[in-house]
Amino acid sequence: MILLICALVAASALFYIFYLPGKLHFGVEKTRVSYLRERQEAVYENLRDLNFEYKAGKLPDADYQSLKSSLEEEAATILAEIARLEKAGAHSLRGEKGARI
Amino acid sequence: MSQIGSFALLLALVLSAYSFLAGLVALTRKGAGAERLGETARRAGIATFAMVFLAALVLVIAAFQDDFSIAYIFHHSNRDLPGAYKFATLWSGQEGSLLFWSLLLATYGLVLRLRYKTDSRLFAHASVIIAAVQVFFLLLLNFAAHPFAVMQGTLPQDGNGLNPLLQYPEMVIHPPMLYLGYVGFTVPFAFALAALIMRYPGEKWIQITRRWSMVTWGFLTCGVFLGAHWAYSVLGWGGYWGWDPVENASLMPWLTGTAFLHSVMMQEKRGMLKTWNMWLIFATFLLSIFGTFLTRSGVVSSVHAFAQSSIGDWFVGFLAVTFAVCLFFYVKNRSHLRSEHKLESLISRESSFLFNNLLLLVACFTVLWGTLFPVLSEWVQGNKVTVGPPFFNRVNVPVALLLLLLTAVGPLLAWRKTSIESLRRNFLWPALGAIAVGAVLIVVGIRPWKDITYLYSLMTIMLSALVGFTVISEFVRGGRVIKGHTGQSLFASMVQLAHRNTRRYGGYIVHFGVIVIMIGFAGAAFNQDKEQEMGYGDKMSLGAYTLVCRSYTQEDKPNYSSEWAIIDVFKGGKQIETLYPERRFYKASQQMATMVANRSTFKEDLYLVYEGLNQDTGRPILKVHLNPLVMWIWVGVWIMIAGTVVALIPNAVAVRVTAPARIQAAPVGAGD
Repeated sequence: MILLICALVAASALFYIFYLPGKLHFGVEKTRVSYLRERQEAVYENLRDLNFEYKAGKLPDADYQSLKSSLEEEAATILAEIARLEKAGAHSLRGEKGARI
Repeated sequence: MSQIGSFALLLALVLSAYSFLAGLVALTRKGAGAERLGETARRAGIATFAMVFLAALVLVIAAFQDDFSIAYIFHHSNRDLPGAYKFATLWSGQEGSLLFWSLLLATYGLVLRLRYKTDSRLFAHASVIIAAVQVFFLLLLNFAAHPFAVMQGTLPQDGNGLNPLLQYPEMVIHPPMLYLGYVGFTVPFAFALAALIMRYPGEKWIQITRRWSMVTWGFLTCGVFLGAHWAYSVLGWGGYWGWDPVENASLMPWLTGTAFLHSVMMQEKRGMLKTWNMWLIFATFLLSIFGTFLTRSGVVSSVHAFAQSSIGDWFVGFLAVTFAVCLFFYVKNRSHLRSEHKLESLISRESSFLFNNLLLLVACFTVLWGTLFPVLSEWVQGNKVTVGPPFFNRVNVPVALLLLLLTAVGPLLAWRKTSIESLRRNFLWPALGAIAVGAVLIVVGIRPWKDITYLYSLMTIMLSALVGFTVISEFVRGGRVIKGHTGQSLFASMVQLAHRNTRRYGGYIVHFGVIVIMIGFAGAAFNQDKEQEMGYGDKMSLGAYTLVCRSYTQEDKPNYSSEWAIIDVFKGGKQIETLYPERRFYKASQQMATMVANRSTFKEDLYLVYEGLNQDTGRPILKVHLNPLVMWIWVGVWIMIAGTVVALIPNAVAVRVTAPARIQAAPVGAGD
């Protein structure tokens, strides 16, 4: 009886592992553009934090302007690179793929 | 029964080894074949969970069926053991707790493998790393600490029973919490190592593991404090933390894990401290394994040494291999971990995180050094030199005070740089409030110049007040902004504020819990105790209390026999309570255990220990402790848990307003 249970358990495990569907579905692989979009989101979040802290009265005007300006520059650089990569991708790959990292 | 358990464990080992090897091969190749091989590896990982679960289930069923043919059940259970403790048999001994470790790891692995579509390649790497860790624990279970080893010779009628110290309700949940914490750090570790190995671009792996890390940290926090509460309630020495090696073992990964949770924000927000964070999570994982090694190997003596054996060498080997793998990939791919920004100012949120990390690591190193000192001194000098609480307190109390200061200052600092004007604006009122609290305490009677412990106590409460005021000011300032936009009440605005940035405001609630705990710790400076023989009608006074012994008696139950006293407690001439300190003798294990009687209030604990009968007079000896503010510690833990839960709630969507023109139309929320 115990032998039978063990054999059944092993057979079920092997069936589950090796009986695969015809087509497998995986997520998309990460591209440089998707990485830059993550960075863009992070900078936007920093800007949101900064705006809120300014509105809450935690930052003097001078500090706020200086920090905002540097974050905007960072965001602009990222956006420029995204635009450049997307343009290049559209030209060279006809919009099918993004640039691989 | 034992054959099924053994078979399940063996099959689990084979499957996890396949998951590791096939996964590894799949990652090094390309094409549809590699993808299919990788999928079989993923499924083998999932099947491993089923097998380990089956093995654990068999062990629990064996405990409930009093199957003493299994040596583990014989050694850790008996027929009269209550059901909850029979269930807890799974983690009460060496082999069972390693099986439980393996089960939790397989469960975490299962969740990870089911969510693989988030980022299949990153998850595949992490899955292989988790499979490797799983292989180690299954090797241990199959070849060094087999939970299904059978008894030789005639079958015993009853088991040895569970260690009496473990027959306490918290013991049913303390180890699982601690293990969920220990094991849980494997997941962020696996993702971090995976990200390093594959030179994963960006910080997405941190976002993926953020909730894992917080949940794990929450479990570890619960585990550490449940352990402290258990020690306080069961060991009967009047304290909750004795710097015991096993306590220290749980504290070390907690300290580095706490450092990681803070510093990882710098990486997410500013792309900084990548190497630091990588090594922090490596260290946290290694310390979790090291903690298990300390508990299991018997290399240090501990009141918690419930399960010692020779499996220490396995752990040393595993630690060495893991460290070598981490170091190899770090050296190979360290260029990938270059910071995207530099520290711009010493007065900034970044630097406060950095100092916070340094202090947490100093505390961790102190604990590690003190814990290993007996072993190191034995190697070097030939005799074991033990360091006690004074060593740990001398270093860690000032470190904790500095950490409290940073907890207060950090949230008030801006990212990148903070001007003096900004500091003054944010810091003035909380600082004045803290000074006022200090002045009130001195007026009330704390004399910091009389004893260093009083000074520390006063500073702890003042700094806690400072943190409290800054946390409140953060909520009020933010709430006012929301109130200005929505017109709701300030309280509703603060709730909305927390919902808009749950990690940040949940974190503040955790900080609030920390200060409540610290105030509880500060009370220890004013502990008092007294020991006395108490016959019928005898009185003892301590603080504002008078204790009168009404009676003392004995009782016999199936699982244990006990001696206990009935003590009436008077305060201001009025009887306020009756307490029953007890001492039990567990029959199966032939061991004694203390059942403390504790009257706990926010002000103080009246803690009674029945120390036994005086053999000459036949009268009981009682030890009474008066411990101020202890309840604050347990309340603080609940607040920390509540804060962690808040931090885990997804953010509410921010209101979209016009973005700065220079960066096109970006979603800049008015909220957080």
